[in-house]
Amino acid sequence: MAMLGALSFPPIEELLEWKDMFGIPGFNKVSLLCVLSSLIVIVFFLMAGRRRELVPRGVQNIAESTVEFVENSIIMQTMGPQGLYWLPFLLTMFTFLLVANLFELVPVIQFPATARMAIPFPLAMFVFVLFIAMGVKRQGVGGYLKATLVPPGVPKGLYVLVVPIELFSTFLMRPFSLAVRLFANMLAGHLLLVTFALLSAALFTKSIMIVLLPLPVAMLVAVTVFELLVAVLQAFIFTILAAVYIGEAMNPQH
Amino acid sequence: MTGAGSLVVAVAKNPILPETKEIFWFLIAFIILFVVMWKKALPGVKKTMNERSEKIRGNLEEAEQVRNEAQDVLKQYKRQLADAREESNRIIEEARETAENLRRDMLQRAETQVAELRERSREEIKAAQERATSELQSRVGTMAIELAEKVVEQSLNRDANLRLIERYIEQVGSRS
Repeated sequence: MAMLGALSFPPIEELLEWKDMFGIPGFNKVSLLCVLSSLIVIVFFLMAGRRRELVPRGVQNIAESTVEFVENSIIMQTMGPQGLYWLPFLLTMFTFLLVANLFELVPVIQFPATARMAIPFPLAMFVFVLFIAMGVKRQGVGGYLKATLVPPGVPKGLYVLVVPIELFSTFLMRPFSLAVRLFANMLAGHLLLVTFALLSAALFTKSIMIVLLPLPVAMLVAVTVFELLVAVLQAFIFTILAAVYIGEAMNPQH
Repeated sequence: MTGAGSLVVAVAKNPILPETKEIFWFLIAFIILFVVMWKKALPGVKKTMNERSEKIRGNLEEAEQVRNEAQDVLKQYKRQLADAREESNRIIEEARETAENLRRDMLQRAETQVAELRERSREEIKAAQERATSELQSRVGTMAIELAEKVVEQSLNRDANLRLIERYIEQVGSRS
């Protein structure tokens, strides 16, 4: 009971209501993290672009590997060579999300900006608007709706069933699931880290309960490694799904 | 009123609903990042990458070209070597033929010379024999006459004649 007394979670409001910073109205920690993510990526890529070494090292190597990763593992796998047009957008999305996610593990910051709906939601809406716009541009309104709502090979009798399902899954579920997947994963990871960190702190006492301390500490280390994986993976998943949606609208046969 | 107020606050704090002010800052940060990435940062990195690809492609093409050239040169050298070998074989064969001809000629000439020499020496021997015979005959004649003279002069006894004749024959024998 003494341990439970020492264990005091911060009030949930702290996760939902963020204080303004630097005296700028509306500029809170999440806003700061967004700006920081953007700045870090800009500085990183500008530095990489300035180096012109034949054998890339350091910053240049990481930047080039990232570009190649987005090109080969995301765009070429989902959209084909014509999708390379989308490289600036998808690279921006991937790098921004990656840095914003990794803030979860940076000491002092220890919060992923993407655990706030203000980032996944507008990004998902961008993707939503873009894939509809690409579909309409390539196939026309009727052609795009037909290709999306009526999968080839479906008997006409089943249209009554299939069309609403496709309408729901493409135009409602896609943006929603895209945003919520990222948001929920990052928020859950953050809560896990907070939980084990607080448990470890509470057990770090002079009482006999200290014998239990290794358990939450081990979990904290394990979850930290796991969250590193999740941070990279979620940035990748969000970007590759955006590429899949846009690519599908461009080439319905794929 | 308080209950309603707290309900409003609770609804506003639903974590699934995005905060407008955060969206505002996110949009600013993301759009600036996108523009900088699109116009400045990515072209810089891509330029370096493309230059490298071009350089590697150029090097590969150059290497391929050099390889082809080397193969051509090798082929040429092999052909030249084969030609040279053939030429040397021809020269050796020619030399062998020349040597054989020369040997045959020299042998023939030597045989002819030997035959001529033999013929000449035979003739010389024959001539010398003939000369000796004729000289002997003339000397025998002369001596026979001398002997006859002596016989006539000293025909006193038979023993003396016999001695003369024997002496004569001895003289002739020692001369021939």
